[in-house]
Amino acid sequence: MKLRPSGDNLAGYAFISPFIIGFLAFTIIPMVVSLYLSFTNYDLFSTPQWVGLGNYIEMFTGDEKYWTTIKVTFTYVLAGVPLRLTFALIVAMLLNRASRMVGIYRTLFYLPSIIGGSVAVAIMWRNIFGNEGTINQLLFFMGIDQKIYWYQEPTSALWTLILLSVWQFGSSMLIFLAGLKNISPEYYEAASVDGANPFQKFFKITLPLLSPIIFFNLVMQTISAFMTFTPAYIISKGEGGPLDGTLLYSLYLFQKAFNFFQMGYASAMAWVMLLIVGILTLILFKTSKYWVHYESKEG
Amino acid sequence: MKALQESPQAEPRQLQVQKPKFKWGKWLYHLVTGAFALLMLYPIIWLLMSSFKESSQVFVTAHSLIPDPFILSNYTQGWEGIAGQSFGTFIKNSLIIVGFSTIGAVISSALIAYGFARISFKGKAFWFACMMVSMMLPHEVVMIPQYIIFAKIGWLNSFLPIIVPQFFGHAFFIFLMVQFIRNIPIELDEAARIDGCGRFGIFYKVIVPLIVPAMATAAIFSFYWKWEDLINPVLYLNSPDKYPVSLALKLFLDSETASNWGAMFAMSVVSLLPVILIFFLFQKYIVEGISTSGLK
Amino acid sequence: MKKLMLSLSSLMLAAGLAGCGDESSGGTSGEVKEDGAKEDITLRVAWWGGQPRHDYTMKVIEMYEEANPHVNIEAEFANWDDYWKKLAPMAAANQLPDIIQMDTAYLSQYGEKGQLEDLTSYTKDGTINVDNIDETTLAGGNIGDKMYGFNLGSNVLSVITNDDMLKEAGVELNEENWTWDDFEKAAIDVQKATGKYGTNPMNPPDVFFPYYLRTQGERFYNEDGTGLAYKDDQLFVDFFERQVRLIKAKAFPTPDVSAQIKGLEDDFIVKGEAAMTWNYSNQYLGFAQLTDAPLTINLPPEQTENKALFLRPSMFFSVPKSSEHKEEAAKFIDFWTNDVEANKLIKGDRGVPVSSEILEALKPELSEDEVKIFEYVERASQNASPADPPDPLGSAEVMKALKDISDQILFEKITPEEGAKKFREQADEILSRNG
Repeated sequence: MKLRPSGDNLAGYAFISPFIIGFLAFTIIPMVVSLYLSFTNYDLFSTPQWVGLGNYIEMFTGDEKYWTTIKVTFTYVLAGVPLRLTFALIVAMLLNRASRMVGIYRTLFYLPSIIGGSVAVAIMWRNIFGNEGTINQLLFFMGIDQKIYWYQEPTSALWTLILLSVWQFGSSMLIFLAGLKNISPEYYEAASVDGANPFQKFFKITLPLLSPIIFFNLVMQTISAFMTFTPAYIISKGEGGPLDGTLLYSLYLFQKAFNFFQMGYASAMAWVMLLIVGILTLILFKTSKYWVHYESKEG
Repeated sequence: MKALQESPQAEPRQLQVQKPKFKWGKWLYHLVTGAFALLMLYPIIWLLMSSFKESSQVFVTAHSLIPDPFILSNYTQGWEGIAGQSFGTFIKNSLIIVGFSTIGAVISSALIAYGFARISFKGKAFWFACMMVSMMLPHEVVMIPQYIIFAKIGWLNSFLPIIVPQFFGHAFFIFLMVQFIRNIPIELDEAARIDGCGRFGIFYKVIVPLIVPAMATAAIFSFYWKWEDLINPVLYLNSPDKYPVSLALKLFLDSETASNWGAMFAMSVVSLLPVILIFFLFQKYIVEGISTSGLK
Repeated sequence: MKKLMLSLSSLMLAAGLAGCGDESSGGTSGEVKEDGAKEDITLRVAWWGGQPRHDYTMKVIEMYEEANPHVNIEAEFANWDDYWKKLAPMAAANQLPDIIQMDTAYLSQYGEKGQLEDLTSYTKDGTINVDNIDETTLAGGNIGDKMYGFNLGSNVLSVITNDDMLKEAGVELNEENWTWDDFEKAAIDVQKATGKYGTNPMNPPDVFFPYYLRTQGERFYNEDGTGLAYKDDQLFVDFFERQVRLIKAKAFPTPDVSAQIKGLEDDFIVKGEAAMTWNYSNQYLGFAQLTDAPLTINLPPEQTENKALFLRPSMFFSVPKSSEHKEEAAKFIDFWTNDVEANKLIKGDRGVPVSSEILEALKPELSEDEVKIFEYVERASQNASPADPPDPLGSAEVMKALKDISDQILFEKITPEEGAKKFREQADEILSRNG
């Protein structure tokens, strides 16, 4: 069913032309500039000075904090993304039914995601995880007179951040819902006729048919988790504390760029990040042909 | 085609069959879901209740949800705004920015997504990779070059640097819609072509109705992301009469002197309303799923 | 590769990144003409702050516009965080406003990197009238002999106390000559009597450790900002050991507790959770408004012997080199500093005013709490010595390093001795770049 190749090229470029124009106008030059800056010392105000690979070498050999931030970020991504997606999928399945209340539930479950960066979240965080917070009060009522000081240990502080990200699962949930709604009920009816149980239906119908959407969520959530900035910023007031426990990559990059005026170093960090995320995304894309099922082949 | 046309009725029918058997299950469902939803909502409720507290009481009584005394003056005070700008101005600015951005992002992304998902052309993989890569570079490092570009065009202190780029597609939405389009059987395109539709005809008559859930999702996200977007307004808008809500809310606070927390919370509540409203309106299109219109 | 990127970037860099400060020479267009008729000009004025500051600053601007009909002022304001995010790209693109509110922490960065105009010529020729301003105060915005920031007001370190809690613990402060040991004992006594903290944390350490050094006759940064001035690490150890002892006595909050404070309203002393709080004098106003208990503002310990106290410039107005209306900007600064009516609106919000004449004129206008601040600053200035010069380049990194190490000590991950050594290593490395 291929059209004439030349027509395809023309049509293809016609449809994606907005992207190409926007990319050339607003994106490519800043990207190239930042790549150039990553090989310089640039303090925002003076002329950049070429230092070759200096920033990259410093990053990998001279900067203790850099390795801390890599560790923190990978923990955050590897623990947070699967948890968040699983949670989002479960809730989406729960809300994927015809009931008058469901519209309201959907809204309620989405709400936590829309107060994302506000100070209310930071205060909620303290009311729950604070030394006098809900969790410690619950422990006390259960007769355990041992408080958990979440913010005294880097690891436990990071976990509160991961829990926070799981709680804001609204956007992934919404995309799952849209995907679930696109699965024709015919499939389920046919399966019911064949006597399949809900378990079988989930694994034989829902998962395969939802796989493009799961794939999408996995890729996008991974990318955005690596870029996470706001929660760490508001909880730790931009410090990344305690003891760098919540010093996510973007936060450290931000400190370098705008607190310490080391834009060259920050640019180098950004390009390493791009490389890491790019490779991971590429791996996901490569593996996708084994588990992602499309109704139509590409093109 | 037939299966798709019937789809809206299919699900309720399925439920009707199960209804008598699972009545207790339904109650349990509502109980669990409802309770869980309330738990998730604690911060929102906290925010709402704090907006009725006096600024000085917000933290002293942070653990209590009941405002004592209960006051409404935060709302009147907050609405008066800051330094002579009414809060209404900020909301108006936000609506302009968010309205245009969302329309631009959703329409352009759908077009681009169709190109990537359904047409094979030379260089497709390259451009798709460019799109993905553009999402992976932290904004902090492209911010300044971008700022200089917009300064050279003379767009500083206007909505243009925030709105215009949205009209060239949003990578997240493009990818989202590509995934949805690829899940649509290609036979539908062929059927439409046989009926004499061109590329655009197929896009408009076949694909668009089928990706309404994805477009609604994109609209919800775009609306919210632009509504809460802080960094672009911080960079590009200088005059307070152009500030959007996200930026204005922070003007109530200061770490050195007494802050107007009450007004900030009150206006936060007000500014959540449009977002919630948009969500509630658009989630319907996700619920309804595949649209039957345009398919014959 | 390098060539390719260089050429690709050259356009951008030539356009903005590298061109800073070059376009300023001809910037006197549009100012006063010979015949006295004035061309209409627009001045951009930028500041950070909270709502009250935004509100009254707009009123001052209106006053100025009324008195100078040819000047149209565009106000650009934001809160502290957003303000600095805004300013950096503006500087990189040569788009800085004509008048910028500036902080000591950023003065070196912007000043030494050629962004800011030396205001000395405007103070010399009387465009900005400095007749009623003390020399030392004025020099607060100097780097070397260049005035990159015009000092808008003074703050002084202070210890604010909750008198009810002190009374309950039977503590009596003799503010003129109490010692660090007295302070420690008072904090512990309060904890024993009330179960609350004796004091708030001395956070951020980059404010309070330098003060401690001053009480011992030492300084934090050396004169030219190329290293630490104090040589004896025992000073560092003593300072932090005291805090560790206080934490063990539960008289001093651990860093995790203080990290969760969201604002003045949330502070220990406001909520009755601590009897003493270390702060700058201007914050007394907010605390007094928010706290039910009676508060007193006191001189900090051991300030007498080495004249440890100093008037800290609370903030500056700076004029960028790229401004086309420098003289008009200077006139606005003059109005801000010397106009009585304007200062009746400004009061002490940007620090206690620097002009002695304004100080006198304001006195009848002040509230009871404001009077206390003004009197405190006056009392402190009797025995004050000059402030340290503005923080050197790299100070943001030094401050962060000190904060990190302070946290490690207070969480008892490392000893004060280890911390002292580590800090010296890191600070030396950062500051040596200035050499």
